[in-house]
Amino acid sequence: MRWLILYLRSRHAPMALAVAGACAALMWSLWLVTSTTRQVGAPMVVLTVLLTVSALTTTLVSPDGALDRTAALAWAPRRAAHVLAAFLFVAGLLAVTLVTPARFSPALLVARDTAGLLGLTALGATVISPARSWFLPLGWTLAAIVFPGSGNRLAEALTWQGQDPGNSPAMVTALLLAASGLLAYTLAGPARRAMTEITV
Amino acid sequence: MSRALSIELRRSAAPGSALILLAVGVALLYLVAEAEWSAGWMQLVMAQRLYLALLWPLALAAGAWQGRRERQSNVTELFASTPRPRASRVVPTVGAMALTIVAGYLLMGLVGGLAIVSTAHYLPPQVAAVTAVGALALVAGVWLGMAAGHLLPWLVTAPAVAVAGLGVLLTIPAATRPKGWLALVFSPIYEMNLPEDYATVPGRVSVSQAIWLAALALAGLLLFASSGWRVRVAALLPVALGAVLAITVMPHHDRLVVDAVDPVAKELVCARDEPRVCVSRVHEGLLPEVVPQAREALTVLAKLPGMPSRVHEDTTTYLPYVPAPRTADVALVTIRGGKTGDLTSKIVTGVFARSYDCEKGPDWADTLAAAYWLIGRTPVAEEPDVAADALIRWRELGKLPAGEAAARVTAIRDAAVGCK
Repeated sequence: MRWLILYLRSRHAPMALAVAGACAALMWSLWLVTSTTRQVGAPMVVLTVLLTVSALTTTLVSPDGALDRTAALAWAPRRAAHVLAAFLFVAGLLAVTLVTPARFSPALLVARDTAGLLGLTALGATVISPARSWFLPLGWTLAAIVFPGSGNRLAEALTWQGQDPGNSPAMVTALLLAASGLLAYTLAGPARRAMTEITV
Repeated sequence: MSRALSIELRRSAAPGSALILLAVGVALLYLVAEAEWSAGWMQLVMAQRLYLALLWPLALAAGAWQGRRERQSNVTELFASTPRPRASRVVPTVGAMALTIVAGYLLMGLVGGLAIVSTAHYLPPQVAAVTAVGALALVAGVWLGMAAGHLLPWLVTAPAVAVAGLGVLLTIPAATRPKGWLALVFSPIYEMNLPEDYATVPGRVSVSQAIWLAALALAGLLLFASSGWRVRVAALLPVALGAVLAITVMPHHDRLVVDAVDPVAKELVCARDEPRVCVSRVHEGLLPEVVPQAREALTVLAKLPGMPSRVHEDTTTYLPYVPAPRTADVALVTIRGGKTGDLTSKIVTGVFARSYDCEKGPDWADTLAAAYWLIGRTPVAEEPDVAADALIRWRELGKLPAGEAAARVTAIRDAAVGCK
């Protein structure tokens, strides 16, 4: 337990969780104020997922990666647990809204986009660096929301974020991204160049 | 100064941001709806403005990323200890960001232009104004983003301002409804979608938008260069002044851009030799493609007496409704976009078709049957039931003696011209 608390503090998790919660709360209240329906619009749901995932990006890097590597700890399962916990936090946060006057649903859409975007972020953290890992999720998601593809499978797979929850090409893309991000981050960890950056 | 600028041009986020914007912009141009801007330069620059829907939020994010650079590299305190004032330190950075972003936007237009350069000969001066407003929007976005990144130097600031920027762009039309002109002041993307071939953006609209965006850019600059609360509060002043001035300049009625028609683009330009074939100025580059097909159509039409001997482009506009002049010796044909397709049958069919505002006259199946009887081919139509109907009537015409069929076809033509 003590290890877990120290780990979360070293990753600035309380701050990141607070920011993520604040982003979700802001979007939730925006919808409550501006809309008359209870069901939150799909673009709003996707953007909220995007914001909460980007807020959790800062936890993906350790303040001293070189020191971490010298520790006699099995980092791989811990990193996997970290990503899975982030997924559960975002999905859980939005699941709470199901009992409130503004519902961020359907749950499958939230789960798919959270998994895909978190995977993409973890992949970016591994390949580029955690500080830059929001580039691709942000650009891709905004593009998919403004110019959603439909009709052919390739367009649907490329604009997976905004597709209906039952859309299978979109689901395949999201699962691929989630699996590759989880795998890459678990096996390799954050990119080495991240050491000199402050990610908070 | 220029040395610092050249270092910033190479080492800051400027070249990367510009390259990303260029790549995204070109991808949008060629992947989303290429046919919509293939008519000419005006359509291309309006499409670029529409794609600011994505590029503007990305510019905000790029600015915010650049704006938190000192914090990211952990040198905020070090730089604060230097004697040079912050205002003079930031000039190369903001200059580099603005220069490269504008270059990226212009280059995006040029890459799009490669696709239309062979057919788009008409380059009205409003194209420059529309592009300048688009570039100014990106500069304002980048500088506002830099201000946000400087004032809130967290990692999540950049994605958050991008999402906020997209949200603002998408909600402006709903927030200002029913005052469409107000949305036009504040949103550089408003009314830029699906431009007609004779579309234009009135000069006063561009001036008003430029005033607002320049005010926004100035506010961003002040906020980014500021080191005290006085300047930050003062940044509200250009925003307020710019909004008031822009609202004053903008004409206060709706559908300013959608209803705008460029009369010069609509003017007819004719091929040199007889028989006369004329297209609108915006389609002038298509003349070499149009002329042989039009002459072929005229040869087909010449089989019957009293048929048109000239071909003009149908320059009817529907918003507002201004029909093209119709005379008995002119065949009208609609030309859209950068590709003409098969015009010969279109011209011949047009001769037997009633005009847009005529409620009587021959129905479409009769029109097709008459036209294709004259051409000597089986009729084709997009709707299967119309095609089947036209085919039956075309066969009936074919069974009749030549003289009687010609009389019937002439009757259809008379009904179309006279709207009977």
